[in-house]
Amino acid sequence: MAEIAGTMAGSGLEFARRVDAVSTNQRALDQFLRGVERRALRMAELACGNRDDALDIVQDTMCAFVRNYAAKTETDWPPLFHRVLDSRLNDFHRRRTVRSRWLAVFERKSADDDELDPVEQAQDLQDPGPLLRLAGSEAGKALDAALKELPLRQRQAFLLRMWEGFDVATTARAMQCSEGSVKTHLSRALAALRRALEDHQ
Amino acid sequence: MKDHQHSNDRPAWIDQASQVLDDSIRDLDAATLSRLNRARQAALAQRHAHTAPAWLLPAGFASACVLLLAVAAWQPHRRGETQQPVPVAAAADTVADEGDSEENSAEFYQNLEFYAWLDAQNKGDGG
Repeated sequence: MAEIAGTMAGSGLEFARRVDAVSTNQRALDQFLRGVERRALRMAELACGNRDDALDIVQDTMCAFVRNYAAKTETDWPPLFHRVLDSRLNDFHRRRTVRSRWLAVFERKSADDDELDPVEQAQDLQDPGPLLRLAGSEAGKALDAALKELPLRQRQAFLLRMWEGFDVATTARAMQCSEGSVKTHLSRALAALRRALEDHQ
Repeated sequence: MKDHQHSNDRPAWIDQASQVLDDSIRDLDAATLSRLNRARQAALAQRHAHTAPAWLLPAGFASACVLLLAVAAWQPHRRGETQQPVPVAAAADTVADEGDSEENSAEFYQNLEFYAWLDAQNKGDGG
């Protein structure tokens, strides 16, 4: 009897501990999602060019992330969240491509296959760059247009590395590709952005 | 994770681009913020629904313990009910039977050597 009572008391404590852990995890999850949702929305909006679609993608991403990765450690959350988002953006891109083919308005972008001159890609660290010469909303519009012109993988590499601040390994994990691919995509993205922004001037 | 604040080896225009992107998400309209909030709440509610079975585990264990206690408390009564009073005569017969059986068994073991000899004799006659 005493053993059973002891077991029941232990079970009650374990129950309370679990409830507390779940509640803490829920708060941490809420904070994390609050922190990434706006950037995720911006990334989705750049990829699909439409805020409603972007909001749907972000909601879908949040649900899938919580369903599959909420139990992971908090340090793993950022790359895993962006992996889910990247996957959803790829799906959206694929669906749109198929739809566009059927509607015969598909425009093939060959920028991803262009061979770039390494000298052209090299950055001059002393040069203030094209954006500094564009003021306020002009800079925003120019950057927005230039980012929308980039192929999906290049844009994701740029946003994750340069805006989200991920290192190469984390970006590779989020994009589910090799570190070498991340470097290649980023290098091409930087060159294309620079060129586009210079042209914009 | 966020290393770009500390990096000095990248072109200034990239920092400027990051700043422009940060500015673009700072002032979102109320409808968008509301939609984001609803999306977040929906995702978290789904998480809440998924964690419910984990809560049920200790509750189920406690219920099983209570059931076990109830069964343990009920069993002695049941045993008392099922044990019918044995008639005195029948009981005496049973004791007598048990006594006979024990007696026969003891007699058998005492005469075990005789039975072994008898068996050997029978085999010898047969051969």
